[in-house]
Amino acid sequence: MTREPYIRRQRDEHGRKSVAVLPVHYPKELLTALDLLAVEVWGPPGAPRSDAAGRIQAYVCSVVRNALAFLASGGADVVDAALFPHTCDSIQQLATLASDFGGWKKPTLTFLHPKDPGRPSARRFLVAELHALAGRLEALAGRRLDPERLTAAIALHDEIDLHRAALLDGRATLPLDDRALYALLRRGEWLWPEEHLAELQAARAKLGTGRPAASIPVLVTGYVPEPSAILEILNGAGAFVAADDYAAVGRRVVRDRRAPATDPWEALADRQLAAPPCPTRVADQGPRMRHLEGLAERSGARGVLVHVVKFCEPELFDVPAIRRTFEARGIPLLYLEGELEAQLSGQAVTRIEAFVEMISGAGGAA
Amino acid sequence: MSGAAAIGVDVGSTTCKVVAIDGTGALLDRRVEPTDPRIERQVERLVGEIRATAGRELPVGATGYGRKRVAGARALTEITCHARGAFARAGRAGTLVDMGGQDTKVIRIGPSGEVLDFAMNDKCAAGTGRFLEVILGRLQVPFEGLAELVAGASRPVPVSSTCTVFAESEVISLVASDEPLDGIVKGLHVALASRVAALARGVPAGDEILMSGGVALNGAMVASLREALSRPVRVLPDPQLTGAVGAALSVLPGPAPR
Amino acid sequence: MILRRVQYEAAARAVGPFLAALDDWRQRRRKRPARESPFAPPLESLRALKDMMMVHYLSGRYADGAVPVAWVTSGFPVEMLRTLGYHTVYPENHAAICGVQRIVPALSDAVEAQGYSRDLCSYVRSDLGSLDTGRSPVGRLPRPDLLACCTNICQTVLYWYRDLARRFDVPLVLIDTPFIYGEPAPHQTRYVVDQLEEAIVVSERVAKRPLDREAFSETVRLSREGSDLWGQCLDTARNRPAPWTGVDGFFHLGPVVALRGTEACNAYYRTLLDELKDRVSRGIGGLKGEERHRLLWDNLPVWYATREITTLLGSQGFNFVCTTYTNAWAEASSLIDPANPMESGARSYSQIMLNRDLPNKLRLLERLSREFAVDGAVLHSDRSCKPYSIGQIDLKDRLARDLGIRTLLLEADHNDPRSWASELAANRIGAFMESFS
Repeated sequence: MTREPYIRRQRDEHGRKSVAVLPVHYPKELLTALDLLAVEVWGPPGAPRSDAAGRIQAYVCSVVRNALAFLASGGADVVDAALFPHTCDSIQQLATLASDFGGWKKPTLTFLHPKDPGRPSARRFLVAELHALAGRLEALAGRRLDPERLTAAIALHDEIDLHRAALLDGRATLPLDDRALYALLRRGEWLWPEEHLAELQAARAKLGTGRPAASIPVLVTGYVPEPSAILEILNGAGAFVAADDYAAVGRRVVRDRRAPATDPWEALADRQLAAPPCPTRVADQGPRMRHLEGLAERSGARGVLVHVVKFCEPELFDVPAIRRTFEARGIPLLYLEGELEAQLSGQAVTRIEAFVEMISGAGGAA
Repeated sequence: MSGAAAIGVDVGSTTCKVVAIDGTGALLDRRVEPTDPRIERQVERLVGEIRATAGRELPVGATGYGRKRVAGARALTEITCHARGAFARAGRAGTLVDMGGQDTKVIRIGPSGEVLDFAMNDKCAAGTGRFLEVILGRLQVPFEGLAELVAGASRPVPVSSTCTVFAESEVISLVASDEPLDGIVKGLHVALASRVAALARGVPAGDEILMSGGVALNGAMVASLREALSRPVRVLPDPQLTGAVGAALSVLPGPAPR
Repeated sequence: MILRRVQYEAAARAVGPFLAALDDWRQRRRKRPARESPFAPPLESLRALKDMMMVHYLSGRYADGAVPVAWVTSGFPVEMLRTLGYHTVYPENHAAICGVQRIVPALSDAVEAQGYSRDLCSYVRSDLGSLDTGRSPVGRLPRPDLLACCTNICQTVLYWYRDLARRFDVPLVLIDTPFIYGEPAPHQTRYVVDQLEEAIVVSERVAKRPLDREAFSETVRLSREGSDLWGQCLDTARNRPAPWTGVDGFFHLGPVVALRGTEACNAYYRTLLDELKDRVSRGIGGLKGEERHRLLWDNLPVWYATREITTLLGSQGFNFVCTTYTNAWAEASSLIDPANPMESGARSYSQIMLNRDLPNKLRLLERLSREFAVDGAVLHSDRSCKPYSIGQIDLKDRLARDLGIRTLLLEADHNDPRSWASELAANRIGAFMESFS
């Protein structure tokens, strides 16, 4: 694990403890304010790291199976605790399976998102749940949460999102290939936020200085851009990700630019609720489809790539609506299912290339 | 063969096809062999043979899984090439069902031969030629006379499993319980055709379906597909060469023939 | 409206029972083919059950326009809706009927064509497919005025009900029950209580009447009594031989799922309990032959193959005497206190097995195994139910290790027969039975 030396350095040089975090949404601001390093575990991709994957049935997604194998193999032993947000039924079960029946021995933290968050009850619960998590994190960090530091952490993550949004929205004027851009954005999954911010600022300076080598804009929606070969194939075929709605990336970029509430807890709750609509939080389909249409419109996307992890119920439930939405707008859609495999199958490569040939008209019209 | 204008190569998972076409897209020459793991060498030899007959250099278009391993060729996916090939052969827009060894594709072709939309089977083999091959092999039913066998069956014995492994065990137990062999074979074709029909959802009603790929040579499958889709199915001439012809068309100099 | 109401009442009170009796009469006149069955003759109560469920579905055909109609998840705190006079429809129950009738592949095909993945829960595919094709074994379901969803059984139901809300354009009330790791935190219970209050407001508005809190308390009492009676019925199988097979419970479950909180439901279980006790006193077992081995079943039934599985096992003297699935409804309302229905209801509905961590499930499995003196367990690994299935591989190992019982993990899908391979399953079950000798 290349992150391991980094995590150790953070501990040795800055005295920071670290927390492994399962997908997708969690109040990272709390961790930052308590000087805890968040290190996200999206699978990890590739073959499971140990045979513990066999403790979960093969009809469960590879994010969850790989995560158990990874934890059980000691892959995350360098961190001090693991946080399992309530993303779906499978991750909910993983939290109890790993911590109660073996695989994860260090502290287990959970975080529940209220569903249908527009209700007063849901908002009250969210604030209470944030407090509850903060209490657990305080115990882990061995310090009290200072409200001023929380306010500062909220401002820091707001700024990070400002840059992430700028890079994603100005994508067409950024002379980077998709693999490089995603590598940059996804380093935020484990870098100390201030370091991530510095990298984002540097990249932002390149905005408007060129174009991606590929020229056909597509909108991508899905879980996580793995394997990253998918981006290379896309670029190689002449298309690039002009608009992003990956759960791991775009769906966590808050674009709400209202002044934050003075009470940091209210501000934190607002930030949680202001993220783009995500099916793992059972967002209403209406606003989500309008969000996707907006992304397609602003980026001039000529095609939509739906890239989901097999068996991922939250993503799968929205696929019919996504199909309906873009069919009505006459924008072609490619549906691609993966299992976090290390390599793309030949068939997947063919599908992506054929899709780009189709939307570009390359060799299409006889 | 002085009229040869382009060469098309289709390196599929089971067979390797190389064709030469003239300036109007007519098929002049062909080579079909089981795919050799050493693709480069095999393609070089086959293309060389065709070039020798033509007596000059010709542009090469390549498609199929091995398309990027064909030196000096313009590589396009099977989807685009099948659409072009089918369009040239049929002379019109429509929906193409291509059933090969490992893939089944449904391609909607637009009024100028362009791809409007496509769908492929998911990664298990349940909707492909391999599914039939495995189970017919297990039942020791020869390919010859398959169409007659199925046509003569009084009723299909339903085979519900769509997974190849499960279907195999289901078929074995059907045989053990004395279900008629012809009915089981018909049932298999019905099951496979319904998988393909599911891929072909949303095809405009009344459209004649074009069919290509090696499985199109199996009359029983064509008949089952006709039934499952409840519309006419027309098998393209030399159905297994459609992709190679399309690849050749993609490198034909000048405006493509209509 | 008034006419509709008369039709509904007539269907519920007069026509329904008449038709049920007619059907019953027809059944008895029909010569049954002699079939090798390892089971004792069916319970007498089965007829009353059939009548009751038939009336329920028949009256449902006339319910829309007559009374408010709610579509409800199996774990929803239905007592408030009952008190407000809703006719309740359980799409899960309806989907299961489609499963038993083996029409799910056709229904699923219809929604798969719209982009619904085959990897989604087969209940959802069945019900949405039934809506799209108009095919249903019960004729038709009344159109909902309200959708009532509780996530204590899974998050899946929320995606499902949200889809229904879009189709029908009616309000959706949600009880979002935080998953309980260890013990529930006070703010989690508070959240559920708050939501119950919010749900009542919406349900009142749709029903156009206020909730009579006294009547509500009475419904809660009935509901709790129903759960208790159901639990007592299940408990009769602690006797040796068990007076029925545990999977009979899959079918006798109908009233406590769909009519919980009504006197009719409780009356039915009193009758059933009497009959079961009578069988116990006379030493009649669920199997015709000797009950050689007693089994536990975990997870949802395999609706289309229940008979196939139990016959195979029953013919060798293996009887299911308890299931975690049927037990869930003995738990559902068991903690509700009529004097304090909101707080106790929030606790009760949050603490069902599927909403709690795996150590809790292990304790339940071990308790059932001991109390029902089982010597084997079949864990149905259900492709369509991840929250119920994840963890089973470890649970199975622990049962074998800690209690020394024999276990089988049987992979299937509760409603979609396309994931079922008869021959392979028969082999596994055969090997499982051989392991006892």
